[in-house]
Amino acid sequence: MNSRDRRPREESYAAQLDLSLWRRLWGYTRPYRREVILLVFFAVLTALIDAALPLVTRRVVDDVAETRSTEPLARYAWIYAALAAAFCVCIVAFIRLAGKIRTHVAHDIRRDGFANLQDLSFSYFDHRPTGWLMARMTSDVERLSNILAWGVLDLVWGVTLMGSIAVAMLVMNAKLALIVLSVLPFLAWVSAVFKRRILASSRAVRKTNSRITAAYNEGIMAVRTSKVFAREDEDLEEFRGLTGKMYGASMQNSLQSALYLPVVLTLGSLSTGLALAWGGYDVTAGLISVGTLIAFLTWTGHLFDPVQEMAHWFAEMQMAQASAERILGLIAEEPRIRDAAITRYAVNANRKRPREGIAEDGFADELGTIEFRGVSFAYDGGEEVLQDFDLTVREGETVALVGPTGGGKSTIVSLLARFYEPTAGRILIDGVDYTRRGLHWLQSNLGIVLQTPHLFSGSVADNIRYGKLEASDEEVREAARLAGADDFIAELEDGYATEVGEGGNRLSTGQKQLVSFARAILARPRLLVMDEATASVDTETEQRIQRGLARVLANRTSFVIAHRLSTIRSAERILVIEGGRIAEAGSHGELMARRGRYFELVVQQKLRESSLRENAWSGGDRRGARNAVAPAG
Amino acid sequence: MKLDRNKTLWALTEGQRGRYAAAIAALGAGSLFLLAVPLVSKLTLDRIADEGTVSVRFLAAAAAALIALTAVAGAFQYLRGRWAAMASEAIVRRLRDRLFHHLERLPVAFHAKADTGDLVQRCTSDVETVRVFLAQQVVEIGRAALLLAAALPLLIALDARMALVCVALFPLIVVFAILFFRRIRNVFRAMDEAEGRMTAVLQENLTGIRVVRAFARQEHERAKFGAKNRGFRDGTQKLINLLSTYWALSDALCLGQLGLVLIVGARLAAADEISVGTLFACMLIESIVIWPLRHFGRVLADAGKATVALERLREILDEPEESAGGARPAERLSGEIVVENLSFAHAGETEDVLSDVSFRVRPGETLALLGPPGSGKSTLVQILLRLIDYERGSVRLDGHELKGLDRRFVRSQVAVVLQEPFLYSKSIGANVRVGGEAADDDAVIRSTAAASVHEAILDFEDGYDTLVGERGVTLSGGQRQRVALARALLKNAPILVLDDALSAVDTRTEASILEALRARSAGATQILIAHRLSSVAHADRILVLEGGRVVQSGTHRELVRAEGPYRRLWRIQGALEDELEEELASLQGATP
Repeated sequence: MNSRDRRPREESYAAQLDLSLWRRLWGYTRPYRREVILLVFFAVLTALIDAALPLVTRRVVDDVAETRSTEPLARYAWIYAALAAAFCVCIVAFIRLAGKIRTHVAHDIRRDGFANLQDLSFSYFDHRPTGWLMARMTSDVERLSNILAWGVLDLVWGVTLMGSIAVAMLVMNAKLALIVLSVLPFLAWVSAVFKRRILASSRAVRKTNSRITAAYNEGIMAVRTSKVFAREDEDLEEFRGLTGKMYGASMQNSLQSALYLPVVLTLGSLSTGLALAWGGYDVTAGLISVGTLIAFLTWTGHLFDPVQEMAHWFAEMQMAQASAERILGLIAEEPRIRDAAITRYAVNANRKRPREGIAEDGFADELGTIEFRGVSFAYDGGEEVLQDFDLTVREGETVALVGPTGGGKSTIVSLLARFYEPTAGRILIDGVDYTRRGLHWLQSNLGIVLQTPHLFSGSVADNIRYGKLEASDEEVREAARLAGADDFIAELEDGYATEVGEGGNRLSTGQKQLVSFARAILARPRLLVMDEATASVDTETEQRIQRGLARVLANRTSFVIAHRLSTIRSAERILVIEGGRIAEAGSHGELMARRGRYFELVVQQKLRESSLRENAWSGGDRRGARNAVAPAG
Repeated sequence: MKLDRNKTLWALTEGQRGRYAAAIAALGAGSLFLLAVPLVSKLTLDRIADEGTVSVRFLAAAAAALIALTAVAGAFQYLRGRWAAMASEAIVRRLRDRLFHHLERLPVAFHAKADTGDLVQRCTSDVETVRVFLAQQVVEIGRAALLLAAALPLLIALDARMALVCVALFPLIVVFAILFFRRIRNVFRAMDEAEGRMTAVLQENLTGIRVVRAFARQEHERAKFGAKNRGFRDGTQKLINLLSTYWALSDALCLGQLGLVLIVGARLAAADEISVGTLFACMLIESIVIWPLRHFGRVLADAGKATVALERLREILDEPEESAGGARPAERLSGEIVVENLSFAHAGETEDVLSDVSFRVRPGETLALLGPPGSGKSTLVQILLRLIDYERGSVRLDGHELKGLDRRFVRSQVAVVLQEPFLYSKSIGANVRVGGEAADDDAVIRSTAAASVHEAILDFEDGYDTLVGERGVTLSGGQRQRVALARALLKNAPILVLDDALSAVDTRTEASILEALRARSAGATQILIAHRLSSVAHADRILVLEGGRVVQSGTHRELVRAEGPYRRLWRIQGALEDELEEELASLQGATP
């Protein structure tokens, strides 16, 4: 199974409504029960007024036409005004209520989704691209909250309006009413079919639209690359292909919509025609009055709106079912890595009553010896990237990991940080299996500097302060100074208050790296991990960083992954990781003496340096040359 | 000001106005047929009232006419929808293409300051707002105008006093809509921005999830998102509340107008001033005219949204593109670069990023640039690619002043691997071919082999067809850099620039790549930016930059002898290496 098969399913149309799913979603309206009840009340009221207003008009005309008296006019004027006023109040009320339900439900779903995303394990994110998750949290949520608010409103309004009209017609003349209403089921069915088609084609539109969004995104991200390869025309050509597709899909969708209303109207006119012919016959036969016929003709026109609205929401629910599944699935997804029940209990208790020297998970607040015991790991059913791995690190020790890419170095630190847990074997902290310790405790004692630094929008100071939220300005400056970042920060336009932009993209990679160093220093972690963190800074900056770190993090347990072997020379222990195993371990001196893989790696780097020196000091005794030059300079 | 904005919406419709006119005509025809439908009922009823009886045949004919008229009206409605859709979709398609093309042609300085999320949002949701307006409302404006034009003379012909009563509240309805539409613009914009802020926090959180976990900042993130989430919720709520007031008040006005006609008309009818038939007709006409008129308020509201959206698009479209044109002196330059007294400061900033930089690179030579972050190395590369324009000093390629050369020509002559290379979400093979669409497979493999990435590509399940990015595999930093290098090599340009392009590649691989480069691109001028001295030492000349100035220049050999930052760096790297070497020597001495 490759990674593409594991990706979540695309949006799909549900033939059957899964009621339990909607019931769960409906649960989100529970905090707003008062609003929902009021909404139903006002929807019913609106429908009743809707049905009643034409009656007033008819009475006015009838009275005036028959009696030629202006006397009752004032009364009717008042009734009309009262109804109109009530109608307007209803409108304000139901729009506000539906709006409140819609916005609050959307807010609550998003809040829960975001909260859970903070706890979900990395394996969850491995198969779900950021854009996919963004769509769940934005458009899916909007769509569902719309159904919960406006759908309910329209449903109640429609049922009430149709119900009251049907009752009025049945009371007036049952036979004629049945004839008129006989068209309704057919109309409902046609509406449902059409709405489903329309929604299906609008799905195609949305799909193309998301590809266009992705294309804009890529076009902007790739702008430098496209420029330097002078690809603007080719890019535009590709993009035109997409917008052409969009045109086709949108046209199909629009034509279906354009066809729908005329079809419904024509079907509706069938009902009016029947009423006219049959009712007209009955009138001439003296069975019903002209007034009744007029009332029937007026009402048939009122029946179609609710049918259309309800068909629309029914189809929308069918289409949105997949959205509901996905967002509820996201909220209900249990993090694979989380505290055990007993640890959660301990954390709750200890947070309320903190004790000196005791961590929140109830164990001693110390991070001493770290032990990997027979640890194996594979990413989600893939090949094992770590096999039966053993390692003991004492408190304060610095362990360097070297070796080829893909050998398992990064996996070791990911496991250490409990971003993932071993598939076999155990990791112990001071003899306790770390899955029994609190996740929050472990990670808040951790400082990680990643190869590709990630900053958040905000000022430089905000980003450094991320390491310790309550840090004073002075502490922030001190951390930046230790990281060797204060020089460049001072040169920025607004110094520490300079906005770094989205993802920190107004800074260079090296500058971002320095800020992320400062952030880690400020956190004063007990356990520091540097994952090829110096790859994109220059040698002098790196030296400055190393000096700073040496001071701040003396006696801190640390793991360092590095390409440049010179940077890890002083590590107490160097591990050469290859194929998920420790190929070699020891101090620099020991490993050199062993003349194994590490020795080879050093020689490889050395060879290049040497050939360089041959060029630089061609001929003569190298050492002599150096000694001769040094005093002269 | 207002006129100006309408002009832009109006200007958008250019080329599609014929279709819009046809759609409005179809709408008018459809409305006429639809108006005829109640007339059939009225005729039948009148006949029953007058004669007391009608034949079954007449009733059947009336019913058939009613259905047929509706069907014809429906056909016109369909045509109206079809033509309006064709017009609006064509306009939006053009707008999308234009935006995309424009974004790619905007200078790098613009993109450095702009937020990607914000730009994408403008290009998608703002375009959508404009589209909705064009598709649904443009025709509605035509319809309201058409109906008013037809109804007014009719009303006046019926009874002048009634006509006056019929339009009494119209100005109020329209003025109210316009005032409201002014008000709603800011709220709409505020809500839009609140949504943007919320999505930005969400996106950053998701892309930076490792950092969040590494510092155990979940609570902090929840609070941060919570604030933006509430902001968006409250902004939307505010908008909806405003809308509810609007709808209610405009409904009140419309119902008031209808009531006015009813009561005044009934009074006149009772006094025998007008016939009941005239009252009927006025009521009917009024109810047909007034709802589109009320709808006119919504059209204006949507026009407000569309205007705001279009303004936001204008902000992008009005940004000046990179200037085009310039000389294209030869098919291929030889690769000579002469820089004299070059100084540069970013727009609006006083401090120079580059000051008084001069150097010369002969064809085929390698120039290395060395310096701390922010010392101006990347700026120099950007100038060389004409990504940014210099004003002071001169840069000449083969004797041609860079400023006078066509940008695309310059870029065709310079192949570059940027510090953080971007790979397109296409296959790896297609990504390499970005360097030369027409290249054959051999040429592609030669360049990937030189970049030491051929083997790694073959290790993927789908080889060169493996998709890169979110829909495919995630490449490591080193792999990305090497694919980007292969892409640049395939371009086979006279000048090759590596802007710290191998920082994520391990040292062993880097060595073999540099080796391959030296062998392969004999004849091509190379500019090399790197942090490792080992990577730059073989260069024909090394420039050491600090604070935008050239502080040292020379060969590795010269620089190591001279007092200065280079020797300091050399010592820092060298001291450690020397110790290693000594150890190595002692070990080697001990074994035999």
